Amino acid sequence: MMAEQREEKKQQYSGETFQVVSFRLGGEEYGVDISQVQEIIRMVEITHVPRAPRFMEGVINLRGQLIPIIDLRTRFGMNRADHTKSTRIIVTDIGSKRVGIVVDSVSEVLNIPVENVEDAPEMVAGIGTEYIQGVGKVDTRLIILLDLSKVITSEEKQALDSVDEAAE
Amino acid sequence: MSDEPFDKEEFVAYFRDEAEELLQQIDGDLLRLEEFVDSGQADPEIVNSLFRALHTIKGSSGMLGFTEVQGLAHKLENLCDLLRKERMPLSEGSVEFLFSGRDFLTDLVQAAIGQSAPPSGLNEFTGRLDQFVAIYNETSNVIEGKAPDRSEGATPVGSEPMNEAEIAAFEAEIERMLAEAAATAAPTAPATPAESAAAPSAATAKAVPARGNGESADAKKGSAQGKRSSLAQTIRVDIDRLDALLNLVGELVINRTRISDIATTLGRLMGDRALNASIGLIGPLSKDLADSAALLARTTNEIQESIMKVRMVPIGQVFDRFPRTVRDVAKARGKEVQLQISGADTDLDKTIVDEVGEPLMHLLRNCVDHGIEAPDERERQGKPRMGTISLNAYHEGNQIIIEISDDGGGINLDKVRAKAIKNGLIGTEDRLTDRELIELIFTPGFSTAEEVSDVSGRGVGMDVVKRNITKLKGIFDVDSAPGQGTRFTIKLPLTLAIIQALLVRVVDELYAIPLDSVIESQRVEMPDVRTVHGSEVITLRGQVVPLLRIADFFELGGERDPEKVMIVIVGLQGRQVGLVVDSFEGEQEIVIKPLSDVVGRIPGISGATILGNGSISLIIDVHSLVSDAYAGGKVTRAEFSGV
Repeated sequence: MMAEQREEKKQQYSGETFQVVSFRLGGEEYGVDISQVQEIIRMVEITHVPRAPRFMEGVINLRGQLIPIIDLRTRFGMNRADHTKSTRIIVTDIGSKRVGIVVDSVSEVLNIPVENVEDAPEMVAGIGTEYIQGVGKVDTRLIILLDLSKVITSEEKQALDSVDEAAE
Repeated sequence: MSDEPFDKEEFVAYFRDEAEELLQQIDGDLLRLEEFVDSGQADPEIVNSLFRALHTIKGSSGMLGFTEVQGLAHKLENLCDLLRKERMPLSEGSVEFLFSGRDFLTDLVQAAIGQSAPPSGLNEFTGRLDQFVAIYNETSNVIEGKAPDRSEGATPVGSEPMNEAEIAAFEAEIERMLAEAAATAAPTAPATPAESAAAPSAATAKAVPARGNGESADAKKGSAQGKRSSLAQTIRVDIDRLDALLNLVGELVINRTRISDIATTLGRLMGDRALNASIGLIGPLSKDLADSAALLARTTNEIQESIMKVRMVPIGQVFDRFPRTVRDVAKARGKEVQLQISGADTDLDKTIVDEVGEPLMHLLRNCVDHGIEAPDERERQGKPRMGTISLNAYHEGNQIIIEISDDGGGINLDKVRAKAIKNGLIGTEDRLTDRELIELIFTPGFSTAEEVSDVSGRGVGMDVVKRNITKLKGIFDVDSAPGQGTRFTIKLPLTLAIIQALLVRVVDELYAIPLDSVIESQRVEMPDVRTVHGSEVITLRGQVVPLLRIADFFELGGERDPEKVMIVIVGLQGRQVGLVVDSFEGEQEIVIKPLSDVVGRIPGISGATILGNGSISLIIDVHSLVSDAYAGGKVTRAEFSGV
């Protein structure tokens, strides 16, 4: 009886936990839902796509599949950084779209209980708040939780807009 | 419904495919049946074929609970049964009636699988269908000696008729039939000569047998047997599965190239005597690798070819529905047209076959509507009353050519000019070559038809056709001779998935240019590059060809060679552009992969491919580059009038 209750409680708890892959970008720490992360790879040769939007770093060959690569720094209006040994590409699966995002480094997988997550403040480091699900507190660290599907849909829109501009 | 023990979706998909095929066959059967109208006696083989097709539809729709489809199929089956038992004479009215029934059946199938709303006017139609069948059954009863208890007045007046002409024909048919039944005791009444003369069949569409399989192609005796054996040898495969397979083969092709590369490199190393002395063991291994690579190459090529073949379907699948369209359009426009089809068994990639139907349909409608003159007009010009449209398909190298030609009036260039001036496309003083005038019909919104008909002439047409063909990497051309006719020529690649490409280097990336649009590549010394209005051009065999520097177009930077340029001349529909690259890197077979839609549309890039060493090469969209070079206004049109 007791065990059952405890089990129930645990399930409830895990259902209300954000399980995220955390990574660094500039001086900040971000997190994306682990279910959206397909794999994390080291930097590989990126083929530049001419006249693509600025944040579109290019495409890579991942075991025979072409994956577009987005530079999250450029996307978020930060300065571009040189790739280092710790630079990683997080390959994400959002809906039917597979996209790689370049981050400074990948830290760890974190479980953040829902009560430790607060709504996004009005303005965070130039990122539009629509991408931000919330801010998670882990000890003294602040993890910005990203909604990748929003990042990518608005990317697309922007990409199309810039193409249209170029066409004019 | 929800607790079906089988995967209903799969069955529905199967039903859709099967119904589509059968409806197509019914169309073919009806067209052939129509040819027998004059004799008033149907070929029993055709009627049987019709009957079987309807019966199959009835059965499978019943199994899936599509009761409306089942009901209509059953009623049409009854009608065919009357024909089969020779209780009903074959007449224009009855064939027309069957045609309408077939169309309703198509709409119902679409509605049942959720692709469209149920058709309107169905109830009236089935009501008439029932009357039709009942009357003929009674007529037979009259002949058999039973008293008729139905007079003409008993026929209820239907609500809004679907198609005036069709209903009129049908009613005339009933009246005539009733009158005849009363007057004569003959078991079947042949179509009266008077009626045949009064309403001559406006269109006789003759379909040359489309393919070797299926009854629609071959009505000869034993066709049922032929069908059965052809069914046993085919299997339906989801196109997605084939695509997945093709993708894997693409990978194999890439790896084959890679292994060959390694073998070659190793072979070269073996030539290095110092190295060879120190590691002598590698010699035989290297030879093994080379042999194995060669074998792999051969097998891969064969697999690739086989899979491409699996994806190939005869273009006749598309042609099958054309005779009906031509017939209907001709009838609606009061013209006499025969359609001659050849090369229906020419194979083409399934994806292209699916896309090419609409443009072809549009061209055919155009031929009937604008091309072929009215019968009286033709007679005045000393042409046979019946116009001929021929549809011809054949392979030429790595392409399929589809030609549609008619023996009509040709494109009236004076009309085109007048219309273009009216629309402000050209000025009254502009002098254009015939070819340039013809090109004008591809301008959006352009139509010379004097009155807007529901067939064509709404001005959305030729430009859409051209755009669709171009999308398929095809080439579209028009020839026209006044008074003699018009010929449309479409050239399409056999497949879109794997192509030959010329690899070129620009700054530090490799780009692939589809070989089918490459005319030649050459090195040109800088002094031979001239400028016209600030744009670089070269003269090639007396023709001025504008240059387009890929590095500039793609904003890649890089330094220019002050002494020479390496040029790939690409051509599209008679227009040529010289693409300036840094170096040529050879030809290679490449597997086209689309760029993710996340990247968006990139001008000048049509996709990407993975090379043997695993690196990515972007594929240059020759079409957009050529259009850009010309439409960009860099070079004026007049300078190219010689093209």
